[in-house]
Amino acid sequence: MVDTVMRSSLDSDSDEEIQEALAAGTIKPGLVVEEQKKTFINNREGIKEKIKEFSLVNLKWIERLDLSNKPAPETNQITAEDENEQSQNDDFNREMRFYRQAQASVLLGLTKLAELSVPTKRPEDYFAEMAKSDDHMKKVRSKLLEKKMSLERSEKAKKLRELRKYGKKVQQEVLQQRQKEKKEMLDSVKKFRKGQVDKIDILDETIERQPKQKQAQQMKNGQFKPNKKREFKNKKFGFGGQKKRSKYNTAESAADVSEFRAKNAHGKGTGGNFKGKKQGKPKNQRPGKSRRKTMKNKGRK
Amino acid sequence: MVKRKLKSQPTEATNSKSKKQKKDIILEPVIKSDAPVERQTKWTNKQRSLIFSSRGISYRTRHLMLDLRTLMPHSKAEPKMDRKDTLFVINEVCEMKNCNKCLYFEGKKKQDVYLWASNIPKGPSAKFLVENIHTMSELKLTGNCLRGSRPLLSFDKNFDSEPHWQLLKELFIQIFGTPNHHPKSQPFTDHIFTFSIEDNRIWFRNYQILEEDGSLAEIGPRFVLNPIRVFAGSFGGATLYQNPHYISPND
Repeated sequence: MVDTVMRSSLDSDSDEEIQEALAAGTIKPGLVVEEQKKTFINNREGIKEKIKEFSLVNLKWIERLDLSNKPAPETNQITAEDENEQSQNDDFNREMRFYRQAQASVLLGLTKLAELSVPTKRPEDYFAEMAKSDDHMKKVRSKLLEKKMSLERSEKAKKLRELRKYGKKVQQEVLQQRQKEKKEMLDSVKKFRKGQVDKIDILDETIERQPKQKQAQQMKNGQFKPNKKREFKNKKFGFGGQKKRSKYNTAESAADVSEFRAKNAHGKGTGGNFKGKKQGKPKNQRPGKSRRKTMKNKGRK
Repeated sequence: MVKRKLKSQPTEATNSKSKKQKKDIILEPVIKSDAPVERQTKWTNKQRSLIFSSRGISYRTRHLMLDLRTLMPHSKAEPKMDRKDTLFVINEVCEMKNCNKCLYFEGKKKQDVYLWASNIPKGPSAKFLVENIHTMSELKLTGNCLRGSRPLLSFDKNFDSEPHWQLLKELFIQIFGTPNHHPKSQPFTDHIFTFSIEDNRIWFRNYQILEEDGSLAEIGPRFVLNPIRVFAGSFGGATLYQNPHYISPND
């Protein structure tokens, strides 16, 4: 590797001096090549003279129309701070600076021209050849329009997408609401049928139970009475059945013959087969005396 | 015959001193044939620029050259010059066309474009490397202006800082500025050339003045000039300034 070092201070190549320099650290070890210092010509005096020589002295400003100014001040405070950092590579800021420089010049220049009573604004009926042809300007306009249209279209598509999402959400909510209402209605009808509720609101109609006359009277009387079958069973089996005292015979119960049925006495009656009315002859019935006699005599001969 | 008393010719000195605008010349009913003709002398700043190129330039450079010819009514055209001729020949070419300024585009290796800007008889001249060329026909540049209207020239404040920038500023004013009352010029000022110094280069923009309050639209063309050298003479002579920041595209 070749080290290029400015050795303007060391003119001689004597060994001692090189060794000293090496020790001091001004030169690194390796091949040292003396570099020519490049001088760039900048003959300021010559330039100034030349300017004087060729610049047109008698020209008034109106002939030259030159303006020299800084860019116009910005409205945005934020961008002004970042200017120094990104000035080199930031195309947009650079263009904005040129634009603002032009703007400042325009404002200055137009006032100056107005002072000199030179017309600056083109009247509406002044038709003249333009720098760019009409065809070209048509193309430019159509391109601008195209851009605008595509932007609008994309905006619309975005909005539609958003709306669809929202619409889907709304639809689901509505469906859920409907299901809930249906369920509620059915529940209330069930309750009404079962008798827990007396009055329901279905489909904007109010249905009330028409209370029957007996019920109305009983409501007047007070308590409801269960029917006879229920009463009997309650008596017999109510409170766990009352087993302990159910089979006790008292004088009264022994003397009680209200439950005596002559038909069913002595093992006759249905004979264990209860199928409505008596059907034919029951199986185990002993024939009568005369019958037994005839049977006996038949067998004997 | 009564000798007519000749009217004194209005000289340039009286022209510049007189505050009133000169009235249109009304021709007399009878004129003698040997009486000198009175000319309209409003057009005093006689700048004529010769804009041409060498062989071997690309289409973009050619369009840039044509755009400049359109924008500058005081320009003249010239067919392509062979590169085998030395640059000094350009001075003679310009003299033949009666031009006192010149913009010469030189294309090398079909890639690099150099621009020479020169004041013809005695200099100075400058050589630039042209970069970032955008022509007027790009569809993104939407402005338009009258063909031949006089532009306002706007320079950055940095042009006053160093003498070489001042020299270039003066040169540009004389080359790019359309002379007042030029026969091909149009009266209204509707566009502005901006020259800005950024990153040791000169950035050129051309804007259309849409409204008097300062709203602008870009017309084009656009280019960036990287100064290489400034010479005392025209297309030669002693070097007055050499740009230390310039790196040749060959490196």
